[in-house]
Amino acid sequence: MISILKKYILLYFSMFKASFIADLEYRANFFTRILTDVFWYVAQVVTFEILYQHTDHIGDWNLKQMRVFLGLLFIIDAFYMIIIHENLENLPEKVRKGDLDLLLAKPVNSQFMITLQKANTAIIGNLVLGTSWLIFSLHGLDDFSYIRLLWLLLLAPCSLIVIYSMRFVFSASAVIFTRSENLQFLWWQVYRLGMRPDSMYNPIMKWILLTVVPVGVIVSIPARALLNPPNYFYLIWPVILSPILIYLTHRFWKFALTFYSSASS
Amino acid sequence: MKKSFAVFLKRNLAFAKLAIVTNLEYRLNYFVDAIVQPIMTTGIEILLWLGVFAGTHSVTINGFGKDFYLSYALWAAFFARIATSWMYEFRMIEEVSSGTINSLIVRPMGFYEYYLSQLLGYKFITTIISMIIPIIASYYFKLPCIYERIPLASLLCFYYLILVHTISFLVCSVAFHLTKISSFTVAKNLMLWILTGELFPLDLIPQPWRSQLISLPFASGVYLPVGYISGRVDHSYMVHGFISVTIALVILNLIASWLWKIGLRSYSGTGA
Repeated sequence: MISILKKYILLYFSMFKASFIADLEYRANFFTRILTDVFWYVAQVVTFEILYQHTDHIGDWNLKQMRVFLGLLFIIDAFYMIIIHENLENLPEKVRKGDLDLLLAKPVNSQFMITLQKANTAIIGNLVLGTSWLIFSLHGLDDFSYIRLLWLLLLAPCSLIVIYSMRFVFSASAVIFTRSENLQFLWWQVYRLGMRPDSMYNPIMKWILLTVVPVGVIVSIPARALLNPPNYFYLIWPVILSPILIYLTHRFWKFALTFYSSASS
Repeated sequence: MKKSFAVFLKRNLAFAKLAIVTNLEYRLNYFVDAIVQPIMTTGIEILLWLGVFAGTHSVTINGFGKDFYLSYALWAAFFARIATSWMYEFRMIEEVSSGTINSLIVRPMGFYEYYLSQLLGYKFITTIISMIIPIIASYYFKLPCIYERIPLASLLCFYYLILVHTISFLVCSVAFHLTKISSFTVAKNLMLWILTGELFPLDLIPQPWRSQLISLPFASGVYLPVGYISGRVDHSYMVHGFISVTIALVILNLIASWLWKIGLRSYSGTGA
């Protein structure tokens, strides 16, 4: 078991190194990727800064608290972009062109390869930007206890698992439907629901976003851990949910593969 | 002259028809694009505006009531779907990067017109289906909507789409030199996300930024047509929109044609 784990860790580090070298090869693309996320950050910040010029609260958070929410969003999103995004984004293309065959034929878990083969190393710069924004926004809070940041050690990986699981289902659906570009764009819309605080939604919608389509877990729960007194039932939910979702993605992948007919032959 | 124009028109109608048939072939994909995506965007934005109005002490924001913002959120999602080009821009870049463009440049047609006609055909078939939804929703929920303004607003949006395609052409011309530039598309579309007014009505931005952003051609994608339909802007803004898009079209076409020419000159036909 340990030797298998070691093999996968070594494999991941090799793939990460290869990704970094490959990313640096196309320097203009490398720097534009960083710029792209800066635009995205600006869009999020500007939206809320402008809205808060016309209101005191959105949901139950004021502007300073919303900045913390956005800081967490940027950090969690940056981790997702570095480790997972590019792999799942390209999966439908691999299915259409038959490149999936090469991954399925390798003597490693196909879900592991599909998820982690390529790291997007340019986004490390964005992680620095996101972290800077979070520190700035936490500094702006009147009575913040920095010990609460420890919650992130537990909740940030859970958030990452939730994004991964949901995105994986959208990407893997390409194996079933063959052409699903717009289904991939649909993921973006679902993800946007999680980019807003859960308290903004009505109780039924909030419940749906925390359970059935759990994008509300991604940022809202870690943000609450930092901003509000701890509600342990609320905080333990991502820890329970994460292994369930990982198991379900595994089952879904097995199911999707039953529809796969190689395109390269 | 007359004959060559007829051939040009026939050819481009065939390209548009090709795009319509191709996109209708994958029905789920089409259904998601034309119906599900804009409905979801509308829902998300409406929830945001309800949240904003719940937290404000005033019944109006910047002189407009809640209904105006709900109407804006409803229409903006649908116009934004028309005014964006992801799929065709990625394909154009891919043609240049992979070398499959070889099979297109030897044909008696322009690369620009080939993809423009396809884009317009695809957007046309998406629009006629998806626009039914905001019309019904506006009528049912009695949201501010001046229905007779919809044709002119749609026309401006489609005119702006030609500008969007020209920017796509410009981006793909860069692919002759830089090979891997897919992130340019994402960066550009994110920038347009703010500049078109898709995220929020541009009139909420404080001065002097507000006037400057509204005077840019990008406002013709979402803010001006949606503002015109929902009664936020009057006819003079629409005239300004048509003029600014025309100026931008001339300038960007000149730059894009120049880049395309020097790109083709340096192109070595990687896919050959």
